[in-house]
Amino acid sequence: MHRRTVVQRGAWAVLLWPFLFTKCIPLDCQDCPSISQEKLLDRVIQHAELIYRVSEESCTLFEEMFVPFPLRLQRNQAGYACITKALPIPSSKSEIQQISDQWLLQSVLLLVQSWIEPLVYLQTTLDRYDDAPELLLNKTKWLSGKLLSLEQGVLVLITKVLNEGMVSTSYTEQAIFQYDMQLDMLESIIKDYTLFNCFKKDAHKIETFLKLLKCRQTDKYNCA
Amino acid sequence: MRVRAPRGLTFCVCLSMQCLGPPGKPTLTNCRSPEKETFTCWWKPGPDGGLPTTYALYYLKDNSETVYECPDYHTAGRNSCFFNKNETSVWVNYNITVVATNKMGRTFSDPVDVDVAYIVQPHTPENVTVNVMEDEGWPFLRVSWESPHKADIRSGWITLVYELRSKMEGEEEWEEHFPGQQKTFNIFSVRSGSSYLVQVRCRPDHGFWSEWSPTTKTKVPKFFLGRSLWILILVFSILVVLILAWIIYMNCHSLKHSILPPVPGPKIKGFDHQRLKNGSYKDGLGALMIPEYPPSSSSNDDDLLVEYLEVFVTGEQDISMEEGKEIQDHYCKSESSTCDSDSGHGSCDSHTLLIDKCKETSKDELNSNCEDASEIIELEISQNNQDEKTLSYDGRPDTCNGRVKTWPSVFTPLPQYTLSAIPQKSSLEIVKQHCLSDTLFPPGSMSSNLVNQNESFGPSYWEFSLNSKQLPQIHSQSSKHLQAYSDINISKKDNEITTLFKSTQYVEVKNVNNKDMVLLQPVESGSQSHAEGCPHVHQGKDYSKVKGVNSDKMLLLESGVNVMGQETATCFCDKSETNAMKESGYMSSANVWKHKHPPMQTVLPVQEEQKPFAANGYVDTATMFSVPM
Repeated sequence: MHRRTVVQRGAWAVLLWPFLFTKCIPLDCQDCPSISQEKLLDRVIQHAELIYRVSEESCTLFEEMFVPFPLRLQRNQAGYACITKALPIPSSKSEIQQISDQWLLQSVLLLVQSWIEPLVYLQTTLDRYDDAPELLLNKTKWLSGKLLSLEQGVLVLITKVLNEGMVSTSYTEQAIFQYDMQLDMLESIIKDYTLFNCFKKDAHKIETFLKLLKCRQTDKYNCA
Repeated sequence: MRVRAPRGLTFCVCLSMQCLGPPGKPTLTNCRSPEKETFTCWWKPGPDGGLPTTYALYYLKDNSETVYECPDYHTAGRNSCFFNKNETSVWVNYNITVVATNKMGRTFSDPVDVDVAYIVQPHTPENVTVNVMEDEGWPFLRVSWESPHKADIRSGWITLVYELRSKMEGEEEWEEHFPGQQKTFNIFSVRSGSSYLVQVRCRPDHGFWSEWSPTTKTKVPKFFLGRSLWILILVFSILVVLILAWIIYMNCHSLKHSILPPVPGPKIKGFDHQRLKNGSYKDGLGALMIPEYPPSSSSNDDDLLVEYLEVFVTGEQDISMEEGKEIQDHYCKSESSTCDSDSGHGSCDSHTLLIDKCKETSKDELNSNCEDASEIIELEISQNNQDEKTLSYDGRPDTCNGRVKTWPSVFTPLPQYTLSAIPQKSSLEIVKQHCLSDTLFPPGSMSSNLVNQNESFGPSYWEFSLNSKQLPQIHSQSSKHLQAYSDINISKKDNEITTLFKSTQYVEVKNVNNKDMVLLQPVESGSQSHAEGCPHVHQGKDYSKVKGVNSDKMLLLESGVNVMGQETATCFCDKSETNAMKESGYMSSANVWKHKHPPMQTVLPVQEEQKPFAANGYVDTATMFSVPM
């Protein structure tokens, strides 16, 4: 599957190849070939939708495979809050309506960047389980690869939308992810389950934010 | 804060037949959000314990310790809690508990975790309209609807997918369609004249299906076939009519015949009325007649002296007709040429079928050809002029094509050769010529007739036009007579010169050329030496008598010569006539040649003037030679 991931990454790199130019070429370049903002936004949204769908499937797979029945409904077990809880991200529509486009994009970027490491961790923990299905492993790997592509896309989008320079990635320092490998099996399962759920939620957030952004970009006055 | 409510029943105090106690445990049935902006939770109260009970809902947000109470108990109806926009946070985990309280106590329900993002169930789509539209004469339904009015699709807050189902009125099963995120859909498989029911529902990309919209009913009017269909039918029927008419026209005659058969008229098979009218049946009718015998040549001055002996050597009998069309042609030509009025050719008319076939060829043409032909070998039997018994060859057209014609004995035996005036002698033996011919020697039918070697006849020689095959092998070892025998049973033997030649003609093998032809030459030396006309005849064994034709189509010759009139044979060694006959005749051995011989060309420079005949010419024959047929 490593090859497949490489292929997918390559495909996305091909799709987002103009981003390379934007990184290498000064931003005030007038004649650079570039993708239009709308198309870029569409592609980013498609990315986010796909990531959400796959994360939902992975979470369901994990739940069916490893999580005992009594624990299934309790998504947020004590002690295992979502890692992105601390991030300053709007969580209601009214809140979102009040923030600006830039902040919306920044929120998206924060979310994306904060999940890169945990996904890598998830891949390693899944290898520890004896009978982890191949499908689950593949999906997890695919997710971490796609997330990287999404990050790149959002970065370019920020540059385009906001006409700003590269956004610093200082926020990633705040995302503290606890690597705790001394957990027993049940705790590990619960932790991983929480991770899957949180990631699914955040993926949905990303997708929604981007769609709201799209409405704002196209039709500023009619968007709610 | 969790308070364990004591079981109500245990503290039930029965008063006036009523059990009073703490309320029963309520249960949260479900929480739903129609647009992901607000949500409502409903609970089901337990037994109230006989006392007025109040219910309160408390929730915790995202594992924080702050307990909130439901802001709105009334909007959504009884036993519900409505969370408005300000209080709804998406992607936040709500821990909700319902508490039932009465005088006797409290009862808590089981907590439920709620994330607004996952409990979205939109309202049903609105304004479902169905229109009947026409597509080139065929009707179809166009269904259109709107999203539930509260769902904010425009901004992208919610993405809805739709599902549509339809059925004909009276049917039991619905037919489902998935328009996706569209708001219109076309149903094409529609029957005209029937009513259809349509319903639509929707669902967010992660959530619950809405309820089905109220049924929309439409009636499809009865289309009495679209206009385009009528045009198609018309064109097709016109085509069919045209094809039928054409077929009838093509088979007009046969149809007429089958329906009205024509009246047959009288007719004789093989009889052509027209020709009869034209008077060209003279010859044809003549063919029907039995030729007189002896031939009219007997009425010639030279009575039975036939001037020319034409020996025809043809190919195989079965393929005789075709093979060597030339053979036939030659036959024909010679045949026609033989039918001269003045050389006893009256008998030629009736001869063989071959002849009949040749009737059609114009004699003139043949004659003209004959006269010019020089390569044609002719069998010429010329009488030795010395005794005036020679058969002089006067270049008759018949002989110009000179073939050794042999006629099967089945046919009326008549000499097929034209003979020039031959001084007829009573002493002349009947010269019978056996012409070696496949066709003419049906097995067993060969009658070995003796050919009179007739020294009495002048040197005569004949030229053979050999064509393939059946030529007797020339055996060059010993000089033997090759005597052409006419296979003609001459019943009448008065003079018996019905055919041919009086003197024995001998040729000898000169060589065999590359065309598988044996070149014969008249044995001049011998003949010369016997200039006085004493051919060496009958020296030793003489295999010149045709015994017959065996089944292999071999010409069987036997030794011994049934020479008749030997004594009368005279030597006609006319040197002068031996000029060009060196190559005159040749016979190819049957043994040597296979069936598929190329036809032998007769390389005979035929001289028009005389065909001198080496009196002593011998054709060496094998003791037994066979002619492959």
